[in-house]
Amino acid sequence: MIEAYVHKKLHTANGEMLLDIQLRIEKGQFVTLYGSSGAGKTSTLRILAGLLSADKGKIVLNGNTWLDTDNKIDITPQKRRIGYVFQDYALFPNMTVRKNLEYALEKGQDKNIIKELVDIVELEDLQDRNPETLSGGQKQRVALARALVRTPEVLLLDEPLSALDQKMRSKLQDYILKLHKQYNLTTILVSHDVGEIVKMSDKIYCLEDGIISREGNPITIFTNDRLSGKFQFAGEVIAIVQEEVIYIVTVLVGNNVVKVIAQESEIENLAIGDKVIVASKAFNPVLVKVEE
Amino acid sequence: MNVFSGHISDIQVNKSLSMVSVRISERVELKTILVETPETASYLSVGNIVNVLFKETEVIISKEEYPLISVQNKIKATIEEVKKGLLLSKLTLKTEIGAVASLIATEVLDEMALTENQEVIVMVKINEIMISR
Repeated sequence: MIEAYVHKKLHTANGEMLLDIQLRIEKGQFVTLYGSSGAGKTSTLRILAGLLSADKGKIVLNGNTWLDTDNKIDITPQKRRIGYVFQDYALFPNMTVRKNLEYALEKGQDKNIIKELVDIVELEDLQDRNPETLSGGQKQRVALARALVRTPEVLLLDEPLSALDQKMRSKLQDYILKLHKQYNLTTILVSHDVGEIVKMSDKIYCLEDGIISREGNPITIFTNDRLSGKFQFAGEVIAIVQEEVIYIVTVLVGNNVVKVIAQESEIENLAIGDKVIVASKAFNPVLVKVEE
Repeated sequence: MNVFSGHISDIQVNKSLSMVSVRISERVELKTILVETPETASYLSVGNIVNVLFKETEVIISKEEYPLISVQNKIKATIEEVKKGLLLSKLTLKTEIGAVASLIATEVLDEMALTENQEVIVMVKINEIMISR
């Protein structure tokens, strides 16, 4: 579990801002920090990683104190057992993919971890290539693998997919989830993409001007807040069938199965197993009293 | 789903209901009734950019320009494409705000003799439009 409290005066484009954040993240949880630019998301990640100092704060991971400003404890980023992935990959351009990964090994560390990671993110055929010959999605797979070479307990992802197109994003999301589960990581993602957040995270923290304005389950946070429909349920797609000029999508909502008519354009990005929000207006449903 | 972006041009509130007008283009403004107020939904503020959403099944087609009918939202349109099914048919309609899709009964399509390039009026009831930000 990560328990963190950080306090820092930041100088932003809009003037001074006080970052005042409290996080409580269970081991194995996938958490997203969400908010507009300049809300303090990246600064929070950097303080957790030890790349930015806090004015005041305490960070404890599973009983190990990383930071405690009151007791002058501030362990180095290298000792925090964190993997960090940036939006711009940050790979060494003059090294092959394999060398980039090997460079991250600790002294005396078993090299088998590299083979394992290369297998998971499917880099076998790209191992001898230099980063500049790779696509954005391939580079980000290398960056992901590299972040995990030292088998960290915590993975920090700072908008890692925002430079990629939708198809590549979706693929990379699957790789990230696979790694998250395989290594039982505690992952903190910074993202603006609502679909991505709902797909990936167990919990979301909404940051506004340096403080957490809301926290909770992503579906609850996004549904009640963003769409005016008062009749909303989160569910999972279990079937998509084309009939005449329409599609009938079957959605499992809790223990109930509902059916929704959809158009081709709506099902283009929809697959069985996807999480969706079924929404309608309060004006449309009818109530029928159940006779007992 | 039909989705169009616009800005909120007017909000009339009575207790927990709001009648919200969204200006989509110069001549097209869509009205919607919500069980929300500016106090309960932060996006309800005049000038805010929002999306209006309505389902194809809720889009009514009229051949008359001024039909006496209790539907408030009306947009001039030209039928661009007709896809005919056995029971249901899908119309793609060209309008000032972009393409609007409508799903109607094939019987009605035949009865009204709706064909491509015809000029029609697209109508949507106020209770069928949702807003998202």
